[in-house]
Amino acid sequence: MYEPSALAGLVVTAVLTAGLYALMSYGLALVYGVMKIINLAHAGTMMLSAFVVLSLNRTALHLDPVLGSIVSAALFFLLGMGLYRVAVRRVINAPPIASLLLLFGVWLCAQNLAYLIWGSEDQSIVTPYTFTTVDLGDLKIAVSRLIPFFISLVALAALTWFLRSTDLGKAIRAVSQNAMSARLVGVRSERVATIAFGLGSALSAFAGGLLTLLFSFNPDFGGTFQLKSFAIIVLGGLESLPGVALGAVVLAVVESFSILIPGWRGSLVNLLAFSMLVAALVLLPGGIASLLERRGQNE
Amino acid sequence: MNVIRIARLLPALVLALGACAPAGAPSGGGSAAPAASEIKVGAVLPLTGAFSASGNYFQQAYQLATDEVNGAGGLDVGGKKLQITLKILDDGSDTTKSRSLVEQLATQEKVNVLLGGYDTTLVQAQQGVPDQYKIPMVEGGGAASAIFTRGNKYLFGTLATIDDLGNITMDFLKYWEDQGKLPKPLKIALAWENTDHGKDYQAAVNKAAKDDPSHFTVVLDQSFDLNGSDFTPLLTQVKAANADAFLSDAHLPDFITMHRQYTQLGLKHKFVTYGARGPDQKGREALTSAADYLVAGLWWTPALADAGSKKFTDTWKAKYNATPDWFQALGYDTARVMYAGITKAGSLDGDKIRDALAGLEFTGALVPGNKISFDATGKPKTSYVMTQNLPNNEVALVWPSSVEGAKPATIPLPGTG
Repeated sequence: MYEPSALAGLVVTAVLTAGLYALMSYGLALVYGVMKIINLAHAGTMMLSAFVVLSLNRTALHLDPVLGSIVSAALFFLLGMGLYRVAVRRVINAPPIASLLLLFGVWLCAQNLAYLIWGSEDQSIVTPYTFTTVDLGDLKIAVSRLIPFFISLVALAALTWFLRSTDLGKAIRAVSQNAMSARLVGVRSERVATIAFGLGSALSAFAGGLLTLLFSFNPDFGGTFQLKSFAIIVLGGLESLPGVALGAVVLAVVESFSILIPGWRGSLVNLLAFSMLVAALVLLPGGIASLLERRGQNE
Repeated sequence: MNVIRIARLLPALVLALGACAPAGAPSGGGSAAPAASEIKVGAVLPLTGAFSASGNYFQQAYQLATDEVNGAGGLDVGGKKLQITLKILDDGSDTTKSRSLVEQLATQEKVNVLLGGYDTTLVQAQQGVPDQYKIPMVEGGGAASAIFTRGNKYLFGTLATIDDLGNITMDFLKYWEDQGKLPKPLKIALAWENTDHGKDYQAAVNKAAKDDPSHFTVVLDQSFDLNGSDFTPLLTQVKAANADAFLSDAHLPDFITMHRQYTQLGLKHKFVTYGARGPDQKGREALTSAADYLVAGLWWTPALADAGSKKFTDTWKAKYNATPDWFQALGYDTARVMYAGITKAGSLDGDKIRDALAGLEFTGALVPGNKISFDATGKPKTSYVMTQNLPNNEVALVWPSSVEGAKPATIPLPGTG
């Protein structure tokens, strides 16, 4: 039924989707890694960033969404740090429900703010390359999908370098591994957590901005992506960035190739993602990263 | 002496009994209502939240219809002109809140009649209340046929249901097959949203194919989730199906994402439709020339050339400085149908208004055919018009051919002949 070019198209789709999924999950994984909290405001940040990028695109500047996403990421880095200092740090040592409710509240506030400022109509951004494709024989690859994919690879490399090679990055890793010990050796864990939350927010905003290349959006935007991000970071092992990338690949491959299942209904695709989330929590609590770690130790 | 005492006590007794009446007692039906000085009309609309854009269009339309009646001295009820007081509450696009606010209108505001909300999900949340309190409701915001399968007697719709959208699309395709412009039988790739809305569409297309295999073959029948994130796998299936026509039923965000990906994948079919989507300005802005030649089935369009539609479009533009879409037109028709029902009943009694609406044939409507009446379930006997997007942001009326101003469609789509 499927020609080789169609199957090749599915492989390309899976790889590009994985890049997109990874990009929108890094911020969530970073915040969880350092603070052990689930940032439920992640979807709100992505959505607000999409509107910031829209506004930058529609002003006299006519900023391209990629450049707009960089500006938005810088803005949300500051806002994220502010949110941490004002609210999040006060619940960081409370039972998890406190931070969940706080950040859920922030998400709702963000949604209502967006309704107030931009209204409820669906918005979208058209760029000169929205319909441009790279043609490889019968295969057509949209430039607007290639951009988030390559940016995701660059972001993964840059984040990995930052966390491994800079003092601040090492401090973030130290706090994520053992906050108490990090404090004992002189790491200012509060400052590190503030910066990490800002960085996590910036990554979410960057992803939200780039999603405008592909999707229309309104103040409800981001919820589905946030749920997929949960599945990805659980699959990946919650704290490991390479694990997140792998989790994104697994989810994207399963989603893309699900159409080959006889009698498959496309509307079940989210069920697939959340079944994987449940299965990973039960069978592989440390995610793919722990599996790879164990294999490495055995060898 | 005792008789006089009892007579003196009677008003107090009546008042006391009135005070003891349950707060939630039906206000619209049953016993004859006291002589009223106004007509209380209630509506719960999504003025904030996800559906607020459309909800505000409905609010403006209800207000316009009400202002016109009040401006003409009021509504004729049994030979007496009564002013209409319109009470609109905001449900924030929340289904639970929507139902409880309609109940509030019934029990606390004591409205005489109700106008419906928007969209299908919110109308479905509201739909039990009219029968519960015997207060008639006319709605123009819910199009799933399921709304009219629950035995409600006090609920009437003005929006032709989605199965009829599927039916008119298949009639249109059959015509073009018979004209030799489309292959016969036509191979159809069908993608439908996994909601009551989408299931209606799927059922209509599949029924037409089953009933008339010489004209139609469904080679792909696939569902997708509302607000989906990636349609590339689905579109890969569409490509592999090697169909002549691509039929999808989608809401605006999914339409934009799906048709962008459709275009990026280089797909082409002799006929493409996304149900009621196509001429929406937001969609055209997002898709630019990729939206040209898409065919849509609509409840109303400003492209309609009849005198009523033209007058409505001009009035709306003058009042709100914007071109109306079907939301405004159906909102306007919905309120006018209700007011016609009240006049026909000659009373504010809920049962009488219900009976009047059930037998009403409202002429002068904006919907295609300019008439609104209902079947025994409250479902409207109205239909759609089909439009085709043309370059330069223009829209042509293309079906039914009998509709004033209709032009032949460009079939097959350019570049696919």
